[in-house]
Amino acid sequence: MARDPLADTGPLIRRVYAYVAYRVGDGPEAEDLTSETFERALRYRGSYDPKRGEPVAWLIGIARRCIEGARLGTVPLAEPDETADPVDVEAETVERLTLQQAVEGLDERDRELVALRYGSDLSARQIGELLELRTNAVEVALHRALARLRKLLEGQAEHAAEARAAGRPGTV
Amino acid sequence: MRGFFRGRHEGRDLEGELRAARPEPRREFVNALEARVRQDGKRARGGFRVAFVGALTACMLFALASVGGLGYAASAAGDVAVTAKRIVKKKGPKIIKKSAAKSQYGKKTKKKVKKQVKAKKKVKAKRQVRRAAHPRFTG
Repeated sequence: MARDPLADTGPLIRRVYAYVAYRVGDGPEAEDLTSETFERALRYRGSYDPKRGEPVAWLIGIARRCIEGARLGTVPLAEPDETADPVDVEAETVERLTLQQAVEGLDERDRELVALRYGSDLSARQIGELLELRTNAVEVALHRALARLRKLLEGQAEHAAEARAAGRPGTV
Repeated sequence: MRGFFRGRHEGRDLEGELRAARPEPRREFVNALEARVRQDGKRARGGFRVAFVGALTACMLFALASVGGLGYAASAAGDVAVTAKRIVKKKGPKIIKKSAAKSQYGKKTKKKVKKQVKAKKKVKAKRQVRRAAHPRFTG
């Protein structure tokens, strides 16, 4: 009998959810798509072939098709409250939201790569198998995506600083 | 302030931050989905068990039938039933209250008694007749 791909469900749900959330945004849409992914996985669990990859890669493949099927565009995340003083809000939360917003600002291709690498924690080789690319090409594309993300983050930071300076001239 | 933000983003470990900032699902959502998967898994395993037991039974029957084991098994089961019956059944002679043999022997016994009595009477009468014909010697 083939190995059950859904034996260790908890970590798989977290990885699939992280991938979907990086693609469509954190929230109910991501939950719906994750549920749909697992529903399909349950329906087709017999078709899983361990020779073709790990269960997480199989599930991410299903999740990709779910996202494409849902034809979800970029769902804007809740804007971080720029007027709020960072001292009042948890610095980590602001950082997280800023990062997720920056990921949302990437084009579809870069976002997919970031979601696969840092959301579902797939290796460059696994991503290559999924996207039918060579491992080297995946690594280069990821490097470029990260560079673009860094730029976006810098732009966001500058924008936030300007807004703060304009709103409250007394504060630095 | 600008310099502060720029400085932070230039030297940051973006990969580490992306991993750390990975969106986490709600605990209730994870629990509900886990339960759903577990439930389906149980159902699938139950179906597999039934199929496995069915296949095993069919294989055993085929193997037995091919060497004539079915007849042997049937006779063995019959022997077991007979033995069990013997053990369970009360021990003791079988008494038949009404039978031709019994009635026959019963009547015969009565007749014998009558005949014996009659025979005894006859012997007594003969003795008396003999005594009368030949009186006792008294000296």
